[in-house]
Amino acid sequence: MVYLPMPEASEAEIMDHRHQATTTSRELPMARSMCWHCQSEVTGEYLCGQCVKVQPLSKDLDYFACFQLPRLLNIDEQELEKTFYELSRTFHPDFYSTKDESEKAISLGNSAFLNAAYRTLQDPIQRAEYLIRLEAGAVKDIRSNPPADLFEEVLDLQENLETFRQLAPNGASSDLEALREKLQDKRERLEKRQAKMEESLQSKFKEWDQLQERTLLPGEAREEKNTVLRGMQEILSNRTYVRNMVNDLLETTG
Amino acid sequence: MAYSEKVIDHYNNPRNVGSFQKDAGDVGTGVVGAPECGDVMKLQIKVENDTIVDAKFKTFGCGSAIASSSLATEWLKGKSLEDAQKIKNTDIVHELNLPPVKIHCSVLAEDAIKAALGDYQKKAGEKKVKPAAATTSS
Repeated sequence: MVYLPMPEASEAEIMDHRHQATTTSRELPMARSMCWHCQSEVTGEYLCGQCVKVQPLSKDLDYFACFQLPRLLNIDEQELEKTFYELSRTFHPDFYSTKDESEKAISLGNSAFLNAAYRTLQDPIQRAEYLIRLEAGAVKDIRSNPPADLFEEVLDLQENLETFRQLAPNGASSDLEALREKLQDKRERLEKRQAKMEESLQSKFKEWDQLQERTLLPGEAREEKNTVLRGMQEILSNRTYVRNMVNDLLETTG
Repeated sequence: MAYSEKVIDHYNNPRNVGSFQKDAGDVGTGVVGAPECGDVMKLQIKVENDTIVDAKFKTFGCGSAIASSSLATEWLKGKSLEDAQKIKNTDIVHELNLPPVKIHCSVLAEDAIKAALGDYQKKAGEKKVKPAAATTSS
């Protein structure tokens, strides 16, 4: 778990950055402390101060650190977008089309990472899944086992959908209409359940953020944090099954 | 990403689709799911004298998950319970040429085999302890 080259200072530094005005220059951890080209010291700019060559991002960089964000789940999405455009302008391969091959490759690599980071953090669910993966090193066995009756429910629904698909081509019939009504009712109930799950996810996100804000180091309140992460993981995976059921219903019954 | 020919073959002509009576004493049922993608797999075995005489599956998920479970049922038929236990997800990956992003489908199939075997053994164990049992204990 490394945000910055100095792990001890990392969390505190990041917390600090969050409260700073965005006008301060953004400093990202670089892959090396020395410019790959002129070998002068590089202290965290994307470009070497001496020869102005673009520098590769650190392999240890995670998506949150890339955007100078603490590992929180409720983030300012407008701010995220702003940072994304700002960093994109720095790294976009178009600006390097006249440069040599190494620089082209580095800017391409940095851009690809930045795009993946933005795509992930932009979506609250993906953001949470990513955070869990990042923190999973500290949480043994974060994988949850959904209740068996949820699987039974999926199988049961699929049988009904199969019947519907068999009946549908024969045109309208009372059996088909009865089944359609039953499935629509099922979909409404599933959608409500999904909404409820998203509500409880939201409160878990809050819980996580509060824990993060009152601790400075990743190791602090570890047990409490792990409990919240496990709770989140459980809701997330159950939500996947419910969401799939809703989608299958929409696809089949319209 | 392109599926291998073997995956496509199993996907288009899945072997042993269906189900057995879940409550039957000679049937073991495993139902497992992949929380990442929401795929659900049901795999059942029918056992006689510690040998799997038949196997069936129903999988709701991607082509690789369907192919993995279809292949698993083919392999299970005729195997002793002991040999069935030895089927590894890597064997499935190998046979179907699954790409890295689809390895979890083979894991799902292995989990389903293990769950079905476990279910059968649990039933068989209960039968031995209480031969005339019709009681519901948990």
